[in-house]
Amino acid sequence: MALANTQSASAPGAAVPAGRGRAYALSGVAMLLALAAPRLVDDYYLHAIITSLMFLPAAHGLNLMVGYTGMLTLAQGAFFGIGSYVSALLAMHFGTPFWINFLAAGVVTGLIALPLGVPALRLRTYSFVMCTLGFVVIGEAVAKNWISLTRGDMGLSGIPTPDLGFGVKVTGIVGFYYLYLFLAVVMTALFYAIIASPAGRNMIAIRDNETQAEALGIDTWWYKLIVFTLSAAFAGFGGSMFAHYLTTISPLTFQMYYSTTILIIVLGGGAGSIRGVVVGSLLFVAVSEALRIAPELRMVIYGLVLLLLVFWFPKGLTPLVDRVLGIAGGR
Amino acid sequence: MSDLLRIRGLTKSYGAVQALRNVDLDVREGELLGIIGPNGSGKSTLFDCCTGLQTPDAGTVHLDERDITRWPMHRIAREGRFIRSFQKTVVFETMTPRECLITAGQMFAHSSIAATFAIGSGTRQRTAKLAERADHLIELVGLTPVRNQPAGMISFGQQKLVQFASSLMTDPRLVLLDEPLAGINPVLIERIVSSIRQANRELNITFVVIEHNIDVIMNLANRIVVLDQGSILDQGAPETIVKSPKVVEAYLGG
Repeated sequence: MALANTQSASAPGAAVPAGRGRAYALSGVAMLLALAAPRLVDDYYLHAIITSLMFLPAAHGLNLMVGYTGMLTLAQGAFFGIGSYVSALLAMHFGTPFWINFLAAGVVTGLIALPLGVPALRLRTYSFVMCTLGFVVIGEAVAKNWISLTRGDMGLSGIPTPDLGFGVKVTGIVGFYYLYLFLAVVMTALFYAIIASPAGRNMIAIRDNETQAEALGIDTWWYKLIVFTLSAAFAGFGGSMFAHYLTTISPLTFQMYYSTTILIIVLGGGAGSIRGVVVGSLLFVAVSEALRIAPELRMVIYGLVLLLLVFWFPKGLTPLVDRVLGIAGGR
Repeated sequence: MSDLLRIRGLTKSYGAVQALRNVDLDVREGELLGIIGPNGSGKSTLFDCCTGLQTPDAGTVHLDERDITRWPMHRIAREGRFIRSFQKTVVFETMTPRECLITAGQMFAHSSIAATFAIGSGTRQRTAKLAERADHLIELVGLTPVRNQPAGMISFGQQKLVQFASSLMTDPRLVLLDEPLAGINPVLIERIVSSIRQANRELNITFVVIEHNIDVIMNLANRIVVLDQGSILDQGAPETIVKSPKVVEAYLGG
């Protein structure tokens, strides 16, 4: 009971119940729309939605860092790339089923992040951000130069599409859509389980005031390391989805573009809110994918979007969306 | 009364400024110790060095018989049940006072860091218990009207109350309060003072309180320590301290 009463900061305490009913109704509608999507939109838009579903886990991971624990990281793109390589290499060399590749991508990426976090988390704010930027550069260099494993700049192609076992192979776009929708829902549920636990409250405590958190017996160093590892694992899961959908990956996966996209999803949607990140991934990935903005201009436009967000919507678009839909508070 | 906290030779300087000079101090179990002294006399530094926020240049701090001098702050809090508040009030500003209190009790209700990630029924029960206790304390310190507002939005005095109540959520043995009454209106002062007395008497919590409000602290404490320029100038019962010529000269009379 007590947990259910946790509201986001912007919620004006009292006005919850009415808005909450509406929020449930809207979630139901959203779920139905999600299930019916392949009948409602054509393959082109379905592809756009699948793309945003692939970015969602990595965005959840970043949200755990930025939104809940108050640490900015640019390394999500690197972990996304690592996950994609782990999953692709497993499938190509060992022919393992998709579930194993997917799980391994998250777990291995987390295990790689863990020792990186130990020194990195000794750094504070800006130095930490610079350090995570270094991880992206290193990741790209490794993917480019460990040619015997990664085939360097040629990248990996012919990555098998998801093999679910029992002779079920996902090949068509509708199959991909439902599989990735399922995975995105599972990832979102996992994320919710983390933030709804007592540890989730400790993370917010660290974000709000680290010294006070320490003074109340919270070992902030361990929590930050766990969060960093979990956030990388989330990105790794997303990377796996990416590799098996595109069937081709290359060191380009480590480019800043991916880290930036994930950052925009979280900051643009609304850090510290699940709903914000889901809305953000749809808005900033699916919409931009659907509009097919000229690729050369994409980074420029992303940069502008980031600037506008910072100036006009420092809390992301969630408060605006909530106002339009008439939902109060909640996550 | 036995010694709960034993401080020996505590020394700390910040650059050229000597904040603490060779301080020896014993805190007895169950007492209400007041610390007074002019600004910059080293009161807050003393707290910082006892609780792991600052590392002293020299000297030791023992809690019971354990040397806690080099322990990190969270360990002192959790293992030592030794809690402090800060002069500059800090609350978890996006949480409601109720959530602040639940959070404050968490590391004392769950057995390990790993256990805080659990979401089973055992975890929910522990959280429900914390919530019950939080509601009780919120009523006790009079925060009920603002219990569901973000703690960052409530008044300074109310934030002080959140902090005080947070320290009680931890089942503490020893609580250091750094100016708990500064900036608080007289009605609330009465309430905090009586809460401190009650916690001291009924829960056997030992308090060390830094306070500038001389009338209040002389009334509240069983014993007063006067700090001046990083050293202990005098200590004793409140009646003796007010009359101590050294203290009157350095601090009270001016």
